Amino acid sequence: MSIHTKVHGKHGDFAIEANGVVKRFKSGKSWVEVLKGVDFDARHGDLTMVMGPSGSGKSTLIAALSGLLKPEEGRVDILDVDDLWRLSTGRIDKFRLDNCGFIFQGFNLFPALTALQQVETVLKFQGLTSGQAKKRATIALEEVGLGHRLHLRPAALSGGEKQRVAIARALAKDPKILFADEPTSALDGENGQVVIKLLRRAATEHGAAVICVTHDPRLEAWADRVIHIEDGKILDDQRRIPDPNAILASH
Amino acid sequence: MSLALSTLLFEWRRYMAAVMALALSGLLVLAMTGVFIGIGKGFTAAIERSSADIYIMQPGAKALFGGPMGMPKRFIPLAYNHPEVVEIKTLDLSGGNFQNIKTVDPTASAADRARQGAPRQKQVLVNIIDTAPGSVTIPKDYSSELVEALRQPFTVAIDETALTPLGVKLGDKALFNGKTVTVVGVLRGYPNMMQPTIVMSRDSLRMLGEAFEGPRVGPLMIRIKDPARAPVVVAQLNAMGNGQWKAWTRQQLADANAASMFEEGILVIIIGGCVVLGVIIGVAITWQTLRGAIMANIKEFASLRALGVGMGSLRRIVVELSFWVGCVGVAAAILLTWLLSLFALSFAVIIALPFSLLLAVGIGLIAIAMVSGLLSLGILKNSQPADLLR
Repeated sequence: MSIHTKVHGKHGDFAIEANGVVKRFKSGKSWVEVLKGVDFDARHGDLTMVMGPSGSGKSTLIAALSGLLKPEEGRVDILDVDDLWRLSTGRIDKFRLDNCGFIFQGFNLFPALTALQQVETVLKFQGLTSGQAKKRATIALEEVGLGHRLHLRPAALSGGEKQRVAIARALAKDPKILFADEPTSALDGENGQVVIKLLRRAATEHGAAVICVTHDPRLEAWADRVIHIEDGKILDDQRRIPDPNAILASH
Repeated sequence: MSLALSTLLFEWRRYMAAVMALALSGLLVLAMTGVFIGIGKGFTAAIERSSADIYIMQPGAKALFGGPMGMPKRFIPLAYNHPEVVEIKTLDLSGGNFQNIKTVDPTASAADRARQGAPRQKQVLVNIIDTAPGSVTIPKDYSSELVEALRQPFTVAIDETALTPLGVKLGDKALFNGKTVTVVGVLRGYPNMMQPTIVMSRDSLRMLGEAFEGPRVGPLMIRIKDPARAPVVVAQLNAMGNGQWKAWTRQQLADANAASMFEEGILVIIIGGCVVLGVIIGVAITWQTLRGAIMANIKEFASLRALGVGMGSLRRIVVELSFWVGCVGVAAAILLTWLLSLFALSFAVIIALPFSLLLAVGIGLIAIAMVSGLLSLGILKNSQPADLLR
């Protein structure tokens, strides 16, 4: 089968295609195989949910897909790059800067910066002027509903608001691919719902390939596709019709 | 505002140790060097603050003190040959034994007199002024009342910090080389920690029999029509002198006086030791503080790496941060040294802080901070975005 990943794909075009990804970690004197030859793909406009228990290798998978952790074997084609791991570290960084957004379980915001500055900082590294960065950062923060919180520092924001700043920071770059690692697990139900809806919108409205790693089965309702991974192998891969109006019950 | 500067301002407590280490390193070097320059200033203040624009000294002299001082008197008319020279007076210095006078109550018992103690005796330096109004030898900050008072025979003025060591106050009579003088003025801003200084008129000194007489006089103090032209006139005077003398502008002489302190090997060793100590303390503490501060934000740095910000950009943030820490350290060092110098002045100790010294120490401190920043770059390797994925 020959699939081609594309940068500006229409909904449904492939954004990532990975084959035979193997990742081992050293544990004491022995090696533990965390990914055992995983084949994976993700499409533009899809919210792809990667689910599995702790230690199943789901986080390692997105680290290998996004160029953060080099796999021992296998190949990752992503957007217009054939075999991502062939590139130098600097080129991979540049690729991520241009194309990828990241959302983590912890919010990882600089305590010294206001919401607006958090978002601007990344945009300035992309080469935008101060004026452009400010404009785009403001739009991104308004999109996540923080238009009234632009000048607050993380200490003055709630957990949900911090995660929304982190999402704005990732979305302001207008990424073609958005990686999210347990984005809701530090949040209550209400804030979790806001966050998953934002991810849903990034896929539907911005056409991004959103890859969300989670162990929370309630998030499945918003997904176009749910991949279950366990023990370093993909167990099953289901397509489904997302329900944008699903309700995430409070914890 | 950049990420580095915002972080420094917002988390200033975290960087306080580094700033204080830099400030204390700077203080150590500034205060030590400043005290040594100040010791020299104590002797030359009155001369450097006179209205003389130009000095003429022996060709071999490297500074006011410590070289040949006497000049042939005939140089005075020779220097007047320059059309821009307005006034020439000779510098005269003297020294002697100064003793306060105790009033003894004839009815007091022997025990009471013993309790009163012996009169105090000290060797003093004598600065001379000419009391003609506006004379070139009068320091610019002397009031006309002071000059008027010193015009009276056998009168002296003393800096406020020397009153206690000499055991006199305004209006007291005292003995200078065994002859009675009266304290008619108290000066402010002429402390000398090494040797108390008194000021008297050239006429009083002559009447005391101590003035330079005969064919040799002290260095020439010269006022010219336009002080701004001093460097030009100095060059012309040197050409006229044809090697018999050397002319200096006031600033050149002041700089040479300050620098001459450092011809003493021991001072260079002391200051060199302070510099080495300051660098070691500064680098060690600043380095560890920066490491700690970067480590505290390592997850945030890692998240930037995940978003594609390269290692080079993160390194630049750290280097910029250490630059700003250095700048704050310089400001703190100068502030602390300035406060210390105010305190020291009340004990007649001058801590002189010439701009060139501040500049050198400032550049040194920023260099220490930047080196510490470069040393702490290694810690950025811990910013592994993969560690954020759990």
